[in-house]
Amino acid sequence: MNSLDYSKAFTDFWTAQGQALMKAQQQAGTALAEGMRAVTSGKLPMWPDMPADLSTGAADLAGANKSVMDLWTAATSVFGKLATTLPSMPGGDGIVEATLRRVVDPRSWIGGTGEMDEVLARMAQGPRLADLWEAERRYAGVLQAWMNLRRRGLEHNAVVLEAWLQAGRRFMEQLVARSGAGSKAVDAKEALALWTETANQQLLETQRSERFLQTQAEMIRATTELRIAQQELVEHFGKQYGFPTRTELDDVHRTVTELRRELRAIRRDQQIPAPVTQPASSPKPLRTQRSTPPPNARQKGTRS
Amino acid sequence: MTQAGTSPATVFSDAARFGTKMLTGGQLLHGLRDADVQIATTPKDLVWREDKVSLFHYRPLAAQRVGVPLLICYGLVGRWTMTDLQEDRSLVRNLLHLGLDLYVVDWGNPSRADRYLTLDDYILGYLGGCVAEIARRAGVPKVNLLGVCEGGVFTTAFAALEPEQVNTLTLTITPIDFHADTVEDRLGHGFINIWTRSLSPEDVDRLIDANGNLPGEFMGAIFNQMSPMRSLLKYNFDLLDIVDDEQRLMNWLRMEKWIADRPDHPGEAAKQWMKDLYQQNKLVRNEWALDGRRVDLGNIRMPVLNVYAKDDHIIPPATSRALASKVGTSDYQELALAGGHIGVFVGARSQTLFAPAVASFVEQHDLAAA
Repeated sequence: MNSLDYSKAFTDFWTAQGQALMKAQQQAGTALAEGMRAVTSGKLPMWPDMPADLSTGAADLAGANKSVMDLWTAATSVFGKLATTLPSMPGGDGIVEATLRRVVDPRSWIGGTGEMDEVLARMAQGPRLADLWEAERRYAGVLQAWMNLRRRGLEHNAVVLEAWLQAGRRFMEQLVARSGAGSKAVDAKEALALWTETANQQLLETQRSERFLQTQAEMIRATTELRIAQQELVEHFGKQYGFPTRTELDDVHRTVTELRRELRAIRRDQQIPAPVTQPASSPKPLRTQRSTPPPNARQKGTRS
Repeated sequence: MTQAGTSPATVFSDAARFGTKMLTGGQLLHGLRDADVQIATTPKDLVWREDKVSLFHYRPLAAQRVGVPLLICYGLVGRWTMTDLQEDRSLVRNLLHLGLDLYVVDWGNPSRADRYLTLDDYILGYLGGCVAEIARRAGVPKVNLLGVCEGGVFTTAFAALEPEQVNTLTLTITPIDFHADTVEDRLGHGFINIWTRSLSPEDVDRLIDANGNLPGEFMGAIFNQMSPMRSLLKYNFDLLDIVDDEQRLMNWLRMEKWIADRPDHPGEAAKQWMKDLYQQNKLVRNEWALDGRRVDLGNIRMPVLNVYAKDDHIIPPATSRALASKVGTSDYQELALAGGHIGVFVGARSQTLFAPAVASFVEQHDLAAA
């Protein structure tokens, strides 16, 4: 399988996976919404603040997913062009070639800049959904928050992927310009340096853009809301089964912090030293004749 | 098939060289254990502890030339071990060799239980406790402070609130005017300033409420965003480039060890750091208050040495240099070092400039000479 086939296979797989995920999410949203309607119809006890129709969130998520998939297709196209260009470059050793191939592969773009997304996802990971009827409203809140996070994540990834695409285009243009008639062929090391510089410039420009900052802030908000929704769900179970909850622990921690603060103040006022937990075995510093101060003090000046 | 313009001999030669490199590197990495990668090895003793905060006193490496001890105060983002990364790149060792009596404070590993600690606690409580203990041990009324980055803000605020306890104030890569990143507006510089301002105060509150603390790995991700290609190439190109050179590999691994040590930032303190300082820029405006006391930079009347890095992309020079017009002393000096945020501590040129400048500064203002 050549690199173009691989790219296509990967894109097909990714697309199919995305569609399957979306279908499952839409079905889950619809089923949950129907369940909620049944609950609120009076057949079952009513709960307040039921979430709105989740299919709206699913549609937003689908839209975000599609835009990323479109970008991904474009990215693999650029990768295809690069894949046919790079093998013809002379002069690279194994490391440079391997690195160059890796860093122009769109998979590494997502992997390389998705760190924030991964960190946020890990921060948001909480309990798995169980199947307890009494907690459905909270489950719905978690699901809604999760769908919102995926949507915001995709929207942010789209901005990042666009930046990589732009970097890829700039890189191709510069390669073509440098490989023009009569010019010395660009070798792999030069190409890697050029790619690093081009991509870095593009990414840094993007990071300062309003759109990048806005989508990243939205992603952080969505992560936060998911985590809070998860915590509310866990608190519900905690109260039900008599487990200590996060809120209760926070209360204890706040109290301990305040008590320690008061203790420090009392010690300070009464000049009581804090206990040393380990004998201070520091040897007494040697004391010798003090040398003449160097005459290089400059007032309000700058040395460099 | 060979590449266009490349002879089969060259291809075989390149492949052989690459294979040898990987073999040597593989053997080196295989033989290494985490315990082999040591940082902050300069001998020291624990002399005081309160809650999770520890104060260490370094054992002397040369005859003492300065009577007033110097306390190194790092921030809650990262750890002081950067100042003693390895023997030949160590601010700590360099200062000890120049005859300083040296202490360092370690803030420990804050957990969710420390979520309600504030910067008031760290600055007036713990740092104040360290200063009192050092003064007591040395029998001096005041001590020298050396603050690094966020720790520089701690020492600045302490010096402004308790000026009678501070003999000299040395700041290193320390932000004072958190909005001065816009002065030079260099691409890739000051991203944390821009990023923090892109959030609302309510976003910060919710983030901390949801997570308790500001997770260390979250800040790590923000730092990595500041040098995107470097982060992307680090574990393939950079590592492969040095993998067969034991000395360079060990240097690289020591730096990795320091980077990996990312304590969580206590939640309430993080709110103050992000909202009061990064967003609302209260410090340079003399509007910041700790324990109900306003931090007036004009109260900093002791000698000040302000060290900054010319290419610091995390703390742009203008954010540090803003202190010059705010302090209440004419004995204010600046030292501009080449390189970036971390280069101040590990750069080859810094080894011969930074510590001698600090030693000379505190020696000139030593109480014993007064």
